[in-house]
Amino acid sequence: MTNQLEAALLVFVLFTAGIYLCLSRRFLRILFGFLILSNAANVVLIAISGDPTGRGSGTVDADGGALNRIDPLPQALILTAIVIGFAVASYLTVLLYRLYTDRGAASMDTLYADEAPGGAVAKAKEDRL
Amino acid sequence: MSSTLLANFAGLTVMIPVIAALLMLLGPRPTGLRRSFATGVLTALLGLALWMVVHVQATGPLVLRVGGWMTPYGIVLVVDTLAAIMLSLSSFTALSCALYGFAETSAKEEHPLRLPLLLFLLSGINLSFVTGDLFNLFVAFEVMLLSSYALLTLESGANESRRALPYLTLNLVGSAVFLATCGFAYSLFGTLNFAEIIGRADLLVGDVRLTVLAILLLLVFGLKAGVFPLYYWLPISYPLLPAPMAAFYAGMLTKVGVYVLLRVFGTVMPPQLESVHTLIGWTAGLTMVIGVLGAVAQGRVQTILSFHIVSQIGFMVLAIGLYSPFAFTAAIFYIIHHIIVKAALFLVGGVVIRANGSDDLSRTGGLWRAAPWLGLVFVIQAMSLAGLPPLSGFWGKFMIIQEGLTQGEWVLIGLSLVASVLTLMSMLKIWLGAFWRGEPAQPLNYDWRAKRMTAVGLGMVAVSLVIGFGAESVVKVARHAAIETLNRPGYVNAVMSANSTVYEGKHP
Repeated sequence: MTNQLEAALLVFVLFTAGIYLCLSRRFLRILFGFLILSNAANVVLIAISGDPTGRGSGTVDADGGALNRIDPLPQALILTAIVIGFAVASYLTVLLYRLYTDRGAASMDTLYADEAPGGAVAKAKEDRL
Repeated sequence: MSSTLLANFAGLTVMIPVIAALLMLLGPRPTGLRRSFATGVLTALLGLALWMVVHVQATGPLVLRVGGWMTPYGIVLVVDTLAAIMLSLSSFTALSCALYGFAETSAKEEHPLRLPLLLFLLSGINLSFVTGDLFNLFVAFEVMLLSSYALLTLESGANESRRALPYLTLNLVGSAVFLATCGFAYSLFGTLNFAEIIGRADLLVGDVRLTVLAILLLLVFGLKAGVFPLYYWLPISYPLLPAPMAAFYAGMLTKVGVYVLLRVFGTVMPPQLESVHTLIGWTAGLTMVIGVLGAVAQGRVQTILSFHIVSQIGFMVLAIGLYSPFAFTAAIFYIIHHIIVKAALFLVGGVVIRANGSDDLSRTGGLWRAAPWLGLVFVIQAMSLAGLPPLSGFWGKFMIIQEGLTQGEWVLIGLSLVASVLTLMSMLKIWLGAFWRGEPAQPLNYDWRAKRMTAVGLGMVAVSLVIGFGAESVVKVARHAAIETLNRPGYVNAVMSANSTVYEGKHP
């Protein structure tokens, strides 16, 4: 594989940013982190659909010779992945919103405040039982 | 019947749950009719899957080229013996958990979306068993995960819904990595079809890229299976489910990860990846011990059982790491045993919660006197899980340990024995806390519904005992499945020869 350094760098930056955001405590950042992550994976897929290795496409012309086209299969994969990513993103949004309405929390700190060391652990236990 | 017609049965295992779930959504109110419909569908699926176990052993795998496309280009569904066994287990567990749910609540009180989501979940699980290419496996995982996210938070209260967040976030990262791994595999092999990958992976033996791909796949599937150090989400999220759904999750979801590890490392990846197999074995060893140590430290029934899942996953994955036909036989036998036992134990936990109002072991008690049958279900399944002869768990552990001793893996075998003793210890903790101790302060709520729930548990115990006492014939089936899984040329041959069968009707 040659000439794919820029794709590799882009994927590296996107994955790093995505995982960094997913690990943060604020809900909005987690959501953005996931969106970036799923698109980072899509960039990986689109990077392999090019022709840097000289691999032709699966399609042939009428004489049976390979057409000089880009491999279409990864693009079909991306379409599927985008749809799935959209569905998951909408679920994540709804869950985070529900946590906000249920617990008034917009970050992990408030969400787990009652379980923090020295926090209201005992009180939470009473509530649960 | 012609073989083309029979091949359609491979697709039916996925289509029946989807269609049934959609039909159920048409009648949005939970009624008795809807319940009997679901029971009928699940029973039919179970019958179909059991028939396939017998049929596939006699005639070889059922292969369906979806839409009539030639194999490397289209989607292909393959049901071999291992897949058929897993399909039977998923239908059986779903049926038992649904019946338990029916006993627990009246039709009117049931959440209207519970059964449809269970069926969607089942279709995703079944698709990941029968799929014949890597990307379709990704889609199957996503179908399964989306339904499982929804079920997880469907009936959870305001205080509990936050427990779903670690499960969701970890799996989102896992899915992104899996998708990127699919891309990596495609750039390496130029195909995502298992049968084609088998041929091309053999040419890459010794290439470091193949090892990297194998480790990435191990990471993705290990996360799904709950292998150390990726098990963190499991004991947090499972206890928040209502008991019947928790039992289904506990039985099936992590075992999908184990099945895929068997399929990918047994069939798809070449057997020369010894370093990766060693890595699998050692992560499994750590999983066994750390999971069970977590269980010993807990004080609630469902949490203890959830940590046990992690520990037991270690046993199955250890057998995959040992990598021989006998070890695979042991792994498959262990999966069969574990799914039924674990689901039954979670169902018992549900009755404990119902009777005592809590599953906190400091507040429970008196169940042995009030409900001896429930105690019987618990004792038999707990002893089976710990691996006491002649129950089903003993044979699985015996085979794994025998293979480990043959291969001289003394440390790993030592770890597994320690884990077994600690399993027994934490099971005794539940026994003493919930069953043996005298009556708790508040009166037990053990009504006719709880009795019916116990009856479902008794049915699972019966199946589990049959597996334990009839171990010889079950091991025969498992051995056939193991040899078939490891027979890579046989898999390629079965999939590719399906190209010669002509489907009736129009062709693309």
